Amino acid sequence: MSHPIEHGEAHSHVGLYLKTGAVLTVLTALEVGALFVPDLKPVLPPALIGMAVIKFALVIGMFMHLRDDKPIFRFLFMVPLALAVLSFIAMAFLAIVHYEPFGIGYVVTALQKAEGFVPPSTTAPAEPAWPEDKLLAAYAESDKTAHEKGKAIFAASCVSCHRADGGGMPGLGPNMTDNCYKHGGKLGEMYNTISTGVAGTAMPPWSASMKAEQMRDVLYYVRSLRGQNVAGGKACEGSAVAE
Amino acid sequence: MSVHAQAIEEEGHGTGSLGVPNLKLAMWAFLGSECMFFGSLIGTYFFYHDHSLAGPLPKDVFSIGITSISTFLLLMSSLTMALGVDAMRRANAKRSRNFVWGTALLGLTFVGFQVFEFHHFVTTKGLTLATSLFGSSFYVMTGFHGAHVTVGVIWLSIVGWMIHRGHFGQEKAINVEVSGLYWHFVDIVWIVIFTFVYLLEFAK
Repeated sequence: MSHPIEHGEAHSHVGLYLKTGAVLTVLTALEVGALFVPDLKPVLPPALIGMAVIKFALVIGMFMHLRDDKPIFRFLFMVPLALAVLSFIAMAFLAIVHYEPFGIGYVVTALQKAEGFVPPSTTAPAEPAWPEDKLLAAYAESDKTAHEKGKAIFAASCVSCHRADGGGMPGLGPNMTDNCYKHGGKLGEMYNTISTGVAGTAMPPWSASMKAEQMRDVLYYVRSLRGQNVAGGKACEGSAVAE
Repeated sequence: MSVHAQAIEEEGHGTGSLGVPNLKLAMWAFLGSECMFFGSLIGTYFFYHDHSLAGPLPKDVFSIGITSISTFLLLMSSLTMALGVDAMRRANAKRSRNFVWGTALLGLTFVGFQVFEFHHFVTTKGLTLATSLFGSSFYVMTGFHGAHVTVGVIWLSIVGWMIHRGHFGQEKAINVEVSGLYWHFVDIVWIVIFTFVYLLEFAK
């Protein structure tokens, strides 16, 4: 009979427990020790996770007797454990797939990866360090879908201050369809304005709620509005750009 | 004697229609739900990993040396717990009491390490619950684990006392066993946190 609780002279598990404890000790020592061996660096993550799984299995199998106890206990524990592992993987997957909007550094890295930009200095957004020619080349090559997506984002997030046609609103957002810009009309400057917002105005830092691609798409759309000079648009604010 | 009555006598405790002790069944069901609970907390920690805008980062605050010691103590407390349950199964109450109290003491030491760690992080490193996503997700995750260890320490202290006073004998070994299941669970949660949160941070 394999049930751990038996009446009378139950046989001792002490030997098994001591062996299990010894293996757990050795594995923990290996885990910590491996951190200090530079050569192991490439294989470290899978090795560490593997050792943790073995330790986990040893404790539930030997100490908690899941190995040879009634199947109902295994079922009650392993099914939620599998669900927990799956939801963990799902969360990790989401964190990777969606460029998280929580950090400007991350956004810039994502954009850099997407289009090969040199990252701007995040501490001094007023002076964009992006090579404008590369940005312009990327803009010129951008396909229509990016602009369409940008238009949808503009309609959802920007029109309350910049008006549905981009003509701007008194006391709120400037006209996007003339060739005047308060914070610079270069693509890099415009991206920074969208990303970091303008302190003291209604313009929020959109990096807090948009992904890098979304900010890029809306940037392309806004850039495409330049020079359309819609009827009833706000008068020029800031300085006019030559182009 | 009916099979059912025999089962009750064998277990010395209420046995339900599934043929297993209700107390143990309840504990395993509870531990299953605890898997989801800690799975979410650890998942949340990783979801927010690398997204802190301010304050110290994991690498700035973690000390592998100190955490390795407290991890080892908690791991060994699982061994002493298993030995305590085993002793009670074989009707050695005094030995069982000693191992159960020893387990509680190791657990208390682990909690002490955690209190020291949190205090050090807050006062010296400037990491609080409200500092950053790292601070929030780290303290909530490890804090809930520490609270579980604390509950376990109290529980085991009482179990040890009950054995000491002769209230738990071999016929009530299941009471010791179930407290042991809870304790081992707290240990395996830490096995995951130690590897995924602490060690992997330095493996990159």
